[in-house]
Amino acid sequence: MSNPILEQLSAAVIGGKSKDAKAATQHALDANIPLQEIVDNALVSAMGIVGEKFKRNEIFVPEMLIAARAMKESMGMLEPLLAKAGIVPKYTAVIGTVQGDLHDIGKNLVAMMWKGANFRVVDLGVNVTPEKFLAAAKEHNADVVGLSALLTTTMPAMKSTVALIKEANLPKTKVMIGGAPITQQFADEIGADGYSSDAGSAVDKACELIGATA
Amino acid sequence: MNNNYYTDLAIKGLRAPVGAHLILHAHADHDAILLDGKRLGDVIAETARRFNCPLAIPLMDLTLEKDALLRACGVPEDEIESYHFAPPSTSMENPPKLPPLATELPGIPLTPRMRATCDAITRIAQTHTDLLPIGMCIGPFSLMTKLVTDPIMPVFLAGTGITAGDEPDIAMVERLLALGEHVIHEYLRAQIAAGAKAIFVCEPAANLVYFSPKQQEETNYAVFEKYVMEPMRRFAALLAEHDVDLIFHDCGELTGEMVRRLGALNPAIISLGGSRKLWEDAALIPKTTVIYGNLPSKNFYAPQLTAENVAAMARELLEKMRATGHPFILGTECDVLSVPGSEAEIMSKVDAFMRA
Repeated sequence: MSNPILEQLSAAVIGGKSKDAKAATQHALDANIPLQEIVDNALVSAMGIVGEKFKRNEIFVPEMLIAARAMKESMGMLEPLLAKAGIVPKYTAVIGTVQGDLHDIGKNLVAMMWKGANFRVVDLGVNVTPEKFLAAAKEHNADVVGLSALLTTTMPAMKSTVALIKEANLPKTKVMIGGAPITQQFADEIGADGYSSDAGSAVDKACELIGATA
Repeated sequence: MNNNYYTDLAIKGLRAPVGAHLILHAHADHDAILLDGKRLGDVIAETARRFNCPLAIPLMDLTLEKDALLRACGVPEDEIESYHFAPPSTSMENPPKLPPLATELPGIPLTPRMRATCDAITRIAQTHTDLLPIGMCIGPFSLMTKLVTDPIMPVFLAGTGITAGDEPDIAMVERLLALGEHVIHEYLRAQIAAGAKAIFVCEPAANLVYFSPKQQEETNYAVFEKYVMEPMRRFAALLAEHDVDLIFHDCGELTGEMVRRLGALNPAIISLGGSRKLWEDAALIPKTTVIYGNLPSKNFYAPQLTAENVAAMARELLEKMRATGHPFILGTECDVLSVPGSEAEIMSKVDAFMRA
């Protein structure tokens, strides 16, 4: 990235400065920088850096959230223009917390990081039934479905959700799982395609599963 | 009662899980028991006897206070479980009416579950007299995090020096903290009146997800002090006033400095999560406080973690804690939940560390 306006925008997102991000986005639009370039070279790359810093414990969840908020402010300005220009995210993710579980912090973080990687994210919320996951995966032709659980007591719901989606044989949909009690072994045991231990890694894993570049 | 009672238990080698959920769910009608104080008391006593523990540690259900507060706010019963207060900026068709500030709030009625919990304490105090009746509640900060859609952002913004006067989301968080503390104190008094000699307070949200260590270090833990420590000091003072002991539990990820500050509450027992190296934390916690923990009970369901693994972990932890000379009770990182289909697997891990 050599454009100083995009560098400003990227720095504002990384630093979680929403007002600066909005101002820099306006500058970028005023300077007629192509929309896709603003998204890819400033916002997505900034959130990539945020994810890397998070993985290295240089920043923590609150800093990541505040960066995502800055990105959201910028995207709020860009989205109507992107829609008008017919530019849509290449990949779609469906995400939710499994049935019986009302915890949403982990799920929200992953949704935010996927949005930051320019996925279209359909957030189903918490306490989501297996049937609702499957219906959303079909409706949105999802590339990836993310299941979250915090409680060991709700892990069986994760198993039944994975089973239902797998039974439906959706041609391209990959299923990822995560949450405090979840392990790679559990993912293997229930037939999930992927597992990630934190929100930063969830981007890499989703991209790996669907053959995209982060 | 004083902390010596607990240090004596530690010296005698007590070990125990937080296991009421496991034992409760072995009863076919467990949902009915939750509303029947006498039977609930008997299940808690059964748990204590099953694990040879003189502490009648109740069920760790951290939803009761939210339930009571939302009922008092007029939130319909079927919406309570997933209900969150929205920031004032969010447009809502029928915004819930927040009750007045805690200082002006009349008594919040106890819910049927809360009444059953109090009755269970009385049952233990009157019938199972060899056991120490213990109450249970959520901490004010953790309760607040269950009441709003996004608690992390306002807490972070408050840490940057923005005040409730500047930012409506911070104002809402602070108001809900005050209201939550009021509900908790009401429930606390009811449990003490029912006969509780100690209170097990769970503050799992006081952790790195809500409090960035980077920001805390830069601000000398100002927002952690304001939102966690100050309410907990008032909580501890209330208990001290009634000669009731404090058992503090936080299974969230913490910094050493957070542990040191929480230890300064001088609880009878401090129970920490699986991410902590308890033998290192021993230097941060007063010797008058027993350290409890922290075997990985959240993974007891997994066959990959064998009973032999758990036993080896228990032996290693015991050895390391013995080397510190700090009073220690071997236990679990959190409550041991009964997972349908994995009950025997989980119990085998509990039995493994109890025997190790």
